[in-house]
Amino acid sequence: MQSIRLTTDEVKSLYQKHGATLAAYACSCGLDHAAAEDVVQQLFLKMLGEKTFAPQAPVAYLYRSTRNASLNLQRDRRRETDLPDTEPWFIHPNSSQVEVLTLQKALQELPEEQKETVFLKIWSGMTLQEIAEVTETPLNTVASRYRYALEKLRDHLGQQNKK
Amino acid sequence: MDPFDQETERYLREFQPRAIQPLKVGPTDKNIFSRRLAVVALLVLLAGGLLWFAHREMARSKEAANIRPAKEKVTREQRYPSALALTRLALEDNEKLDSVLAKQSREVLPTVQGKQSMLRVLAED
Repeated sequence: MQSIRLTTDEVKSLYQKHGATLAAYACSCGLDHAAAEDVVQQLFLKMLGEKTFAPQAPVAYLYRSTRNASLNLQRDRRRETDLPDTEPWFIHPNSSQVEVLTLQKALQELPEEQKETVFLKIWSGMTLQEIAEVTETPLNTVASRYRYALEKLRDHLGQQNKK
Repeated sequence: MDPFDQETERYLREFQPRAIQPLKVGPTDKNIFSRRLAVVALLVLLAGGLLWFAHREMARSKEAANIRPAKEKVTREQRYPSALALTRLALEDNEKLDSVLAKQSREVLPTVQGKQSMLRVLAED
């Protein structure tokens, strides 16, 4: 896979397409929405500022960087305050906030690789084949991660509904 | 794909990540360089203008200092005709010489016509 230098317009386009999803992903790593937005903004501004920036797979790079930055920030902040777990970082036109929060909690409890796969597939619109390529993971592994993730989410959401 | 998975996928897609603010792109390196260049150019122009103005003012004041004595000389010559001019006038035009001398005596010599003039007072004594 070749490295390609991204233009400003390409970076902006990536931000428009994946920015909100990355912020939600950062929230699933434990940040509040404002901090998640900051992390994503910083990440894209860094991409714009770096003259030699040329990731092989920009979307995968963005997810990895968002996760690392979020975990670092969360580690620093954990000492200071408890994070709110009632803040919605998803919206649903017909569902109540309880459903939104239930989904968020279910996502937070997924293992990192499964969570990343779900975000890439559901909200970044990538196919399993593309995810396998950008994460440099065998297709079967990606498919398994996705299947397990859906199963866990279904279980979690089903349990909540029963309650 | 498992129908349950498909249904779960469809359900998850109904949720959308919360919108975030647009990317706040600050000035790029290129823009910063252009702005700095413009500011430097403005400062150079300003400094150049000030120097030119100061130089012009100095030149003017020098010129004025040179002109003033010459003017004073001309004025003095106009008020007191030189001996050379009077001699020339005596040779060429006697009448004019008389009128010039009369005028000069009126303007330069003290008056003896007034009631309080020193000559009249002495004469009366």
